[in-house]
Amino acid sequence: MPIVKFLVRRLAFMAITFVVITAGLYGVMMLSPAEARATLYMPRTDSGISFNQLQLIIEEYGLKAPYPVQYVRWLGSVLRGDWGWSPTLRDDVLKALLRRTPVTAELILWSVLLFIPLGIFSGAVAAWQRGRAADHSFRLLAFFATSIPPFVLGLMLLAIFYVGLRWFPVGRLTVSSELAVKSAAFKTYTGLVVVDGLLNGRPDITMDALRHLVLPVFTLSLTHWATLGRVTRAAMAEELHKDYVTTARGKGLSWRKTVWRHALHNAMLPALNSSALSAAALVTGVFVVEVIFGLPGVSGLLNASPGNMRLFVPDVAATMGFAVYGVLLVLPLMFILDVLQAFIDPRLREGAVL
Amino acid sequence: MRRLRHFFTVRLNWVALLIVGFFFTVALAAPWIAPPDDPAHPALYRYLEGQTQVAPLPPGPGLPLGTVAYMMDSTGGRELLHFDIFYSLVWGTRTVLRFGLLTALAAACLGITLGAIGGYVGGALNFALMRITDAFLAFPVIAGVWLFRTVMQTANMELVDYTNLTPVSIPSTPFQHLVLTLGIDPVMLTLILFSWMGYARLINANLISLKEAEYVQAAKVAGQRPLRIIFRHLLPNAIAPIIVLLARDIGGMVVMQAAFAFIGVSGTVNSTAIPEWSRLLMMGRNWIMGAGGNPFLYWWLYLPVTAALIVFGIGWNLLGDGLNLTLNPHEVARKRFG
Repeated sequence: MPIVKFLVRRLAFMAITFVVITAGLYGVMMLSPAEARATLYMPRTDSGISFNQLQLIIEEYGLKAPYPVQYVRWLGSVLRGDWGWSPTLRDDVLKALLRRTPVTAELILWSVLLFIPLGIFSGAVAAWQRGRAADHSFRLLAFFATSIPPFVLGLMLLAIFYVGLRWFPVGRLTVSSELAVKSAAFKTYTGLVVVDGLLNGRPDITMDALRHLVLPVFTLSLTHWATLGRVTRAAMAEELHKDYVTTARGKGLSWRKTVWRHALHNAMLPALNSSALSAAALVTGVFVVEVIFGLPGVSGLLNASPGNMRLFVPDVAATMGFAVYGVLLVLPLMFILDVLQAFIDPRLREGAVL
Repeated sequence: MRRLRHFFTVRLNWVALLIVGFFFTVALAAPWIAPPDDPAHPALYRYLEGQTQVAPLPPGPGLPLGTVAYMMDSTGGRELLHFDIFYSLVWGTRTVLRFGLLTALAAACLGITLGAIGGYVGGALNFALMRITDAFLAFPVIAGVWLFRTVMQTANMELVDYTNLTPVSIPSTPFQHLVLTLGIDPVMLTLILFSWMGYARLINANLISLKEAEYVQAAKVAGQRPLRIIFRHLLPNAIAPIIVLLARDIGGMVVMQAAFAFIGVSGTVNSTAIPEWSRLLMMGRNWIMGAGGNPFLYWWLYLPVTAALIVFGIGWNLLGDGLNLTLNPHEVARKRFG
């Protein structure tokens, strides 16, 4: 089964990537003193930690051992689900991350569902209408979309639509919906409030959540929409010059059918490939957008500030947890886009090209 | 030469050169545009003495873009200082250009070296190097920024020894010591470490296809040494897309640094390593977004800086696009006949 082979290869790629990245992360952490790494194995306590305790941890976990030994030990605890204790959040790192996941997942999900179809569609239209009004307006829009950094765009949208017009609020939900969601009567099915609201028969909560999502999703999607549209436009323009298009036209197929049935099929590959490559940028963008719009997502771990400066305990566990988690967000995104590509292109499925 | 002439026939390329040239001019002419108090040792910022007002001062005579008020930690406790925005903006072009050029060049060097080694040697080494490159592409930069920040926070750590209740200071590692003494921005390190992949992939793909080219085979048969083949025959042909990427990256790095600074994952405001424009954004942040912040009331805190950032990014991007059309023969042909 070539498709199984394809999937196995992609999964192997993900595993290798995970190992390479985590090795890199721990390698960077090796640049700090052993006492800092010892906080990765800190006891779950609300009080500060003493020099003596850290010495015991260093002893017990062999944190003066060579790098590979330490790395394997840490990777083992990560894989077992022990991501350490964050002294600033006063919480288990993995638990804190999982609790904040729905907000982040919602943001990524709606953005991807918005910008991938729109980007491919508008890029294809622009290539099809090359040199005409639709093409020019697409290129102008795409130029502005890529020129404005997302954080500036978010700031301006906040100023206009939140502070000025009061159309769209910030945060995740208004207080009344928040209370309704937290009440016992509200069942959590997916964690995504938009979906759960409908499943609970509370369309008002869904609407409320959507209203809160408009600005962040728009901010996050705009640059990615423009990049994807540009790639699709370039790929499409190339496809439209190929012989099979001439053939299709020659046997009497309409332009419309030639573009949407034949050329788009081929042009979508580079488009999806570019999306897969920018998955990491998308995740970085999610965190930036979360901070600007005050969404209680995973980026909350970034805002954790050191509490007691004298008994200063660095939050190494939260840092490493956040980084590992970031990779774990990117990899499935890349995987889904890869599988989509394989669905479109039989050559990938059959394993002719990697 | 014909390519160069082609570059100057496109009107948009002139705009690009104008913008980039403008920032270089401002950087060079900073002492005349915004005269420093002490011309012998010009500071990158200037604050007003003896101000009693708490809110930022609006633009007015002597202060073309107003001030940003910020609580600064100083030796005599915390002190509210009014920083001249115009002054920082002008002198900041120096730090911003330096940041962009240094970061992008360092990333390019790293990427070219790794990509060229893998591409020339080939085989298992290239396979491993390219898998590592792919792995790096799957990492969100922001996590790296925070990682380096935490590493730097653990420099000069102080803990308490519970047996005799005395503070124990943990010695910094050589790396931390180096970064602190050289005053390197951790964000810069991160951006270098996580943006070389594009260069490596470009040069790698190019080298692998060029290696089979007849003129390279001929050079090999003629008995030329590998290093000479790389520098004489391979790199010059692979360098065009690199220059294009480099031009775009210079703007991109500065904008990305500003974004990280604004959301608060970059260093602290007093860090000397932060580019001046990012510092302005960090100091103005609470007046715009915090409790009681108002982006309409205090527009001068962010509009000039963000406008400068956007124009800076556009300039380098346009330059990259223009160079792409000039240096890439396929693109020229497509533009002409397509």
